[in-house]
Amino acid sequence: IPPRTERMAVDQDWSSVYPTAAAFKPSAVPLPIRMGYPVKRGVPPPKEGNLELVKIPNFLHLTPPAIKKHCAALKDFCTEWPSALDSDEKCEQHFPIEIETVDYVSAGTSIRNPKARVVTLKVKLSNLNLDDHARKKLIKLVGERYCEDTDILTITTDRCPLRRQNYDYSIHLLTVLYHESWKTEMWESEKTEEDMEEYIWENSCSQKNALDTLLRIKASENVSNVTEEELLASEVVKNYRNSVIALKNEGETEDNMSQYKESVKKLLNIQ
Amino acid sequence: LDHGYALHTTAKDCFSSLASQDAQTLTETPREVFYTSENDPAKHAEHHEGRHYSIPLEEVKAVFPHGLPPRFQQQIKTFNEAYVMVRKPALELFTYLKSSNFAHPAVRYVIYGERGTGKTMTLCHVIHFCARQGWLVLHIPDAHLWVKNCRKLMQSSYNKKRLDQPLQASAWLKNFKISNERFLKEIKTHKKYVWGKRESTEEGSPLGEVVEQGLARVRSASDAVGVVLKELRQHCQLGAFRLLVAVDGVNALWGRTTLKKEDRSPVSPEELTLVYNLRKMMMNNW
Repeated sequence: IPPRTERMAVDQDWSSVYPTAAAFKPSAVPLPIRMGYPVKRGVPPPKEGNLELVKIPNFLHLTPPAIKKHCAALKDFCTEWPSALDSDEKCEQHFPIEIETVDYVSAGTSIRNPKARVVTLKVKLSNLNLDDHARKKLIKLVGERYCEDTDILTITTDRCPLRRQNYDYSIHLLTVLYHESWKTEMWESEKTEEDMEEYIWENSCSQKNALDTLLRIKASENVSNVTEEELLASEVVKNYRNSVIALKNEGETEDNMSQYKESVKKLLNIQ
Repeated sequence: LDHGYALHTTAKDCFSSLASQDAQTLTETPREVFYTSENDPAKHAEHHEGRHYSIPLEEVKAVFPHGLPPRFQQQIKTFNEAYVMVRKPALELFTYLKSSNFAHPAVRYVIYGERGTGKTMTLCHVIHFCARQGWLVLHIPDAHLWVKNCRKLMQSSYNKKRLDQPLQASAWLKNFKISNERFLKEIKTHKKYVWGKRESTEEGSPLGEVVEQGLARVRSASDAVGVVLKELRQHCQLGAFRLLVAVDGVNALWGRTTLKKEDRSPVSPEELTLVYNLRKMMMNNW
């Protein structure tokens, strides 16, 4: 008997041919596809009896009209999106915390999946009320979970067996981090130069060396004793300070290096 | 930072100036475009930029016993002449060095750039300039040679925690002697140095003796290097002569070493006598 493809109309309902995910049936798909490696002076093999087409996953059950039908069926179970939240910025402004959970469905005897208990909490630190010290302490406490480029703190919890417990735990973690970063412990005053996140020029080797050199230059020229505060407040030293901070914090770029060169030339008075 | 555009632009400039002239001018041969007959580095100016100048071979042997990169030395052997290109950073350095005030603490300059842009050759150009002007040149050809692939490491007799490198130190002393012979006779030591049970150098003896001592007894070569550096620093403060310290590959003094002690623990640069003494030269307090 001729295959089903020859009896198909052009405007038929495709979602009834492939209602669910099924293997590729050459007699039910009217497309003239060829797939495979051609032998010498030949063409790729046709679709009849073609194992290659059966092996690969196909999405013939997910055509746009089929998806429209899915959406129409699910609409009764959905609520409408609030009309006031029409842009991303407004969503972030009113709901800064984002919770991500994943549900798993599979064909099997049980509906439970241990991966479903994972909860991911994302929040932007600019939405939290933190001052300078609290922000640095929070970033240190949190470590890898903070991304500097996007300013998002991501907390993933899966240590509890139920999703609701994981969600409560992640909220608890966020609260604890916030309050702890505002407190200042006694041992925090022992913070050394290696712990600093960014370069601070005051009380650094660079400042000492620069002042030392300037004082010696003044001494060799027999200028009356200029105090350190005067030197620190002078234009050339401030220029030098800015260029050194730029070099250390931003890395070495051509602009930074030429700025540093100019400031050193002015500092040491060489042409 | 000049990536070889200098050569191209000078060639173009020459030809454009030729085109604007009306009268019958002889076309410049490539030799005159790319080479300059000005052999004295002190007289090099911006219009010499991008051109090569030659150093007579006897001067090369006297001034650069260990300074030039190995490829350049091969090139000298092939062509039988040493031609160095005049680069813009070198000219900049000449202006700074000519106008430097010797009463002030020493100024340190850094030549930086990507691989193959001519940093070592610029350094050699500056060294040639200073040698012609009569400065004492302290040239360390490549600091990396002192922190990696060293065969013999001995414990220093002067300071128990540090390690000596007799081979590298004696090689450097030999080359230092060749390049700065006349200074070694003039400079006198300030202190008495005791090398072992029977050898010692008296106060007031020329520095050449310290160098000979280092070459003769290889064990104390690194200490000899340290003594030489200390004496040079002290003499510089008195102002007898001008000193140029040129180190190629300065980052090696502060980076990691590939050397290991006998118990396979890594050696940090401070523990090497040569590196420790050289770091003291790098400060600007002389």
